[in-house]
Amino acid sequence: MSSLLRQASRHVTNQVSLKALNAFITPPSVEGAFADELREEKVSPGDEGLSQSPIKGKVIAVKDNISTAEQATSCASALLDCYSSPFPATVVQRLKDAGAVVTGSTNMDEFGMGSDSMNSYFGPVKNAISHDLSAGGSSGGSAVAVATGQCHAALGTDTGGSVRLPAAYNGIIGFKPSYGMISRWGVVAYANSLDTVGILAKNTIEVGRVFAMARGYDSHDPTSLSEATRLMIEQKLGDHNSRKEARQTALHFGVPEEYNVQELQPAVRDAWICTLQRLQEAGHSVKPISLPATKIALSAYYVLAPAEASSNLAKYDGARYGRKTNNSRNTGDVLYSTTRGQGFGEEVRRRVLLGAFSLSAGAIDNYFKQAQKVRRLIQLDFNRAFLFQHPLMDSIDEGVSEADKVDFIISPTAQSTPPQLSELQHMDHVSSYSADVLTVPASLAGLPAISVPVSMVEEQASTGTESTPIGMQITGQYGTDSAVLSAAGMLESLFTKPR
Amino acid sequence: MSSTPQDMPSFESLTTFDEPLRKQLKDAKRQERLEGRLGRHESRSSRHPTAPKRGNQWRLTIGIEIHAQLNTTQKLFSSAETSESRPNTNVAVFDLAFPGSQPKFQRATLIPALRAALALGCQIKRQSKFDRKHYFYQDQPAGYQITQYYEPYAVDGKLVLGKSDGITVEGAGKAVEVGIQQIQMEQDTAKSTMQDSTTALLDFNRAGHPLIEIITRPDMHSAPEAVACVRKIQSILQGVNAVTAGMEFGGLRADVNVSVAPSASCSLGQRVEIKNLNTLQSIEAAITAEQERQINILAAGGKVLGETRGWSLGSTETTRLRGKEGEVDYRYMPDPDIPPLIIGQDLIDYLKSDLPDLPHKIIDNLVADSDLTPKDARTLVALDGGERLVYFDEVRSQWNQLIIESTSREQSHSSVKEPSSAVRSMSAGEEFKGFDKMIANWVIHEIGHLVSNANLSSFDPASVPPEILASILHGMQNSNISRSSAKDLLRDVFATQTRKSKDLKVKQWLAKYSESSKDHVSIERFYSEMAGKVISSQPGVAEDIKNKSKLGKLNFLVGLMIKEGKARDDQIPVDPLEAERVLRAELGLPPVTTI
Repeated sequence: MSSLLRQASRHVTNQVSLKALNAFITPPSVEGAFADELREEKVSPGDEGLSQSPIKGKVIAVKDNISTAEQATSCASALLDCYSSPFPATVVQRLKDAGAVVTGSTNMDEFGMGSDSMNSYFGPVKNAISHDLSAGGSSGGSAVAVATGQCHAALGTDTGGSVRLPAAYNGIIGFKPSYGMISRWGVVAYANSLDTVGILAKNTIEVGRVFAMARGYDSHDPTSLSEATRLMIEQKLGDHNSRKEARQTALHFGVPEEYNVQELQPAVRDAWICTLQRLQEAGHSVKPISLPATKIALSAYYVLAPAEASSNLAKYDGARYGRKTNNSRNTGDVLYSTTRGQGFGEEVRRRVLLGAFSLSAGAIDNYFKQAQKVRRLIQLDFNRAFLFQHPLMDSIDEGVSEADKVDFIISPTAQSTPPQLSELQHMDHVSSYSADVLTVPASLAGLPAISVPVSMVEEQASTGTESTPIGMQITGQYGTDSAVLSAAGMLESLFTKPR
Repeated sequence: MSSTPQDMPSFESLTTFDEPLRKQLKDAKRQERLEGRLGRHESRSSRHPTAPKRGNQWRLTIGIEIHAQLNTTQKLFSSAETSESRPNTNVAVFDLAFPGSQPKFQRATLIPALRAALALGCQIKRQSKFDRKHYFYQDQPAGYQITQYYEPYAVDGKLVLGKSDGITVEGAGKAVEVGIQQIQMEQDTAKSTMQDSTTALLDFNRAGHPLIEIITRPDMHSAPEAVACVRKIQSILQGVNAVTAGMEFGGLRADVNVSVAPSASCSLGQRVEIKNLNTLQSIEAAITAEQERQINILAAGGKVLGETRGWSLGSTETTRLRGKEGEVDYRYMPDPDIPPLIIGQDLIDYLKSDLPDLPHKIIDNLVADSDLTPKDARTLVALDGGERLVYFDEVRSQWNQLIIESTSREQSHSSVKEPSSAVRSMSAGEEFKGFDKMIANWVIHEIGHLVSNANLSSFDPASVPPEILASILHGMQNSNISRSSAKDLLRDVFATQTRKSKDLKVKQWLAKYSESSKDHVSIERFYSEMAGKVISSQPGVAEDIKNKSKLGKLNFLVGLMIKEGKARDDQIPVDPLEAERVLRAELGLPPVTTI
């Protein structure tokens, strides 16, 4: 038996023994053509030369809102239960073409709406470290599956933090690339202008390997970056780096004062401080910066995302998608209302109504349009902070001196460690939205951001408490995905290498 | 999207008109039937002027939204084609709103949209955007329609309605100006066909077909004006080859906004929208009925409610669809997937330079340099896709030739030095204007009768060569023959020439057939091959004829042979008598006995 097949079988074994975590809606399978191929040793890690794809033979699971040709794509919704897409997502096809075994669809919050993976028609996901904790959401299944070895890596989608947050809660890496890097064709839309396919894995190197295969222009996705734009960004970044390297190799990390919110848990604040210290010790510089629009980012997000969701989910009316219910006569003669009322979960109903309201004639000026303006302000905030100019936007002289600008922004991914499930039950719905407060700004600006687990060995040793995972988020300028990945790798090494 | 010169070849294939006049007139062909209706229309409205007796007290104001299907092979946002085919065969995943599918703007659809906007004198916006208009309906798989609400691609056009559009304006010569507020591109819905009261069949071939919506300003004040406006927009759209079909084919439909206010008032009355009118008659009838309804309400001291109403054929009043409280909030939202549409000036310039003369311009010119009525001019332009106008022109020039010849003969034979009246008028630069009307009358009506009596779909100029018609008319004009003899003469010419040209076609075809074939093929061989084929395809019928003497069924086989001939690429005309003769021979029956 080849080592790849052994590895794959181990994932499946883990899946069976860890069924209680409920990470999968459709469990992975390594039977059939793939297993035969592995047995015949056509694929072996031994000859993994340059010509070989680094993800060949690796089991990659996908969130249940990413279409595959083989399995159902339910988005964890009763309305799409048993729905099978006639076409696979481009990103799935790309990974398959690179030799990966794409199998298993992971549990999630219905249509991506949630921060704890509790809003699933197939039941909640349990945290990889402790069953009493939130798995994070909405890509909770993907994060737990990776963290517990039920797959090698997983795809998630990140609309407001849905890859980074569960990665932080489960102690793994979660990467949201720049908007437009990975095709969304075949990814069921929640809020198209924010939806980004993200990658979860146990370390940055694996994330980078999957990302290298997943990204690329796709003519089916009108928001996919063209080859020419990708090349232009690479060139600009290359010029920028060569100018910088002439001076120094140390990195500049910005610490946004607005992210130091009152609600930040002491443990999280400590981890942040510890991270900054280690970065400085490693020779990098840490500077305070200001992103003033951050305060209103969360509100803008919870206007824009539900507005787009109310539009995207309009198609699930029971005529073609969703189950048709027969007793529609009772509800004011509207054919679809029973289907939608019964088929959608509570949180989806809430956001669809919220979105329909903020788009309605009487409210659009005060909500949707204002939120769009806020989004623009957030983009400008980031542009002022970064040394590297936004490659797709005109430069404006904002009067910030270069000495105050940074390469990356570093902050915690979440303001708290994973909340207790028992706490969540008593929390009101709107305050649970605040879990996204630190991840939403990068989503609104379409920036690459990654969550890296930091563990504080000394602190744990001194207090004797159980290790609770905390994630640090590195955010970079638009298009600097590879730089963000290497900075994340550097940060990772600061916490894994013996010092 | 910005176009570069390299893009041009593909556009060229869409926009080149070899013979601009013929081409554009061909597009007006479909109006032929429409014209028939309009004739009735005008007479009716002149009998019953739209302003009723108490009309002076009230001012009617009308604005129109016209939806027209763009003439393009591409859907607006998917790779599916638009061509007519079996239901639900031209459908891409996006057209059915499959989860995970995304729109992709198809550049080709922009060409007819731009032509329409330029022909309507609009300003083309360099940047426009697409928005989602939300409503639930079975023919709308996404739950929204993609349209251009916030930033349409064309704005501020203008349309002038004058005498040639059948508009009679008080204060002669004054034209009605109708402003075009904006034109937007949008998706069509699926086609619903009601099977019974609870079953609708849906054809998604139409879903996503590109439409343009043309929104006029409320500049019209009578039903005939509104009808003339729609008719003119329709003819302009067809003239520049921008749309697929006219109203009678469902390619165009209109929503009409009607309001009535006291004449003395400066402000407009309460607007009422009448939705989904798809014939010109229904537009006129619905406006007239709605005007009556609103005047009745206002005259009785009531208040007109802002609402949406419908109209069905044969009704006397519009019917309420929904009131203000039931108004649909479409929740317009910019489509987050579709990037802004950027239209380059080079493309606009190119299409502008390529725009053909519009039919209404031709009609105007025709009316200006002849004594034809606008109605006759419109009919000539519309008949046989413009071929009839070309024919009219040829007859007219032959006629002029004859007049010149006869006057010069007259002069040489006559001792009178005074030039004839015809020559006088010619020397004055006038081209026998007085006779245009008479010639047009024969070209339209007399030839029209012959064509329809012969069950032909169009008039073949070869069946009455222009010089022959010209000489018949000339003879009649000189009182050499009577009017009824002239008609008889024309009929005889038509009959013989039609027969001759048919024979000629057979001969030509046979010549071609034998040339292309290596074997020597005779007419007999060709017919017997066809007969054999038909017989073997219908063994039962052949049995009945042979063994049961059901000779009546021979005609069925003859019909099949004719059909067979027509179905061929070279469309061979099959002579029924010859076909029957050969069939009889093949079936071993005695030859037909001729009386």
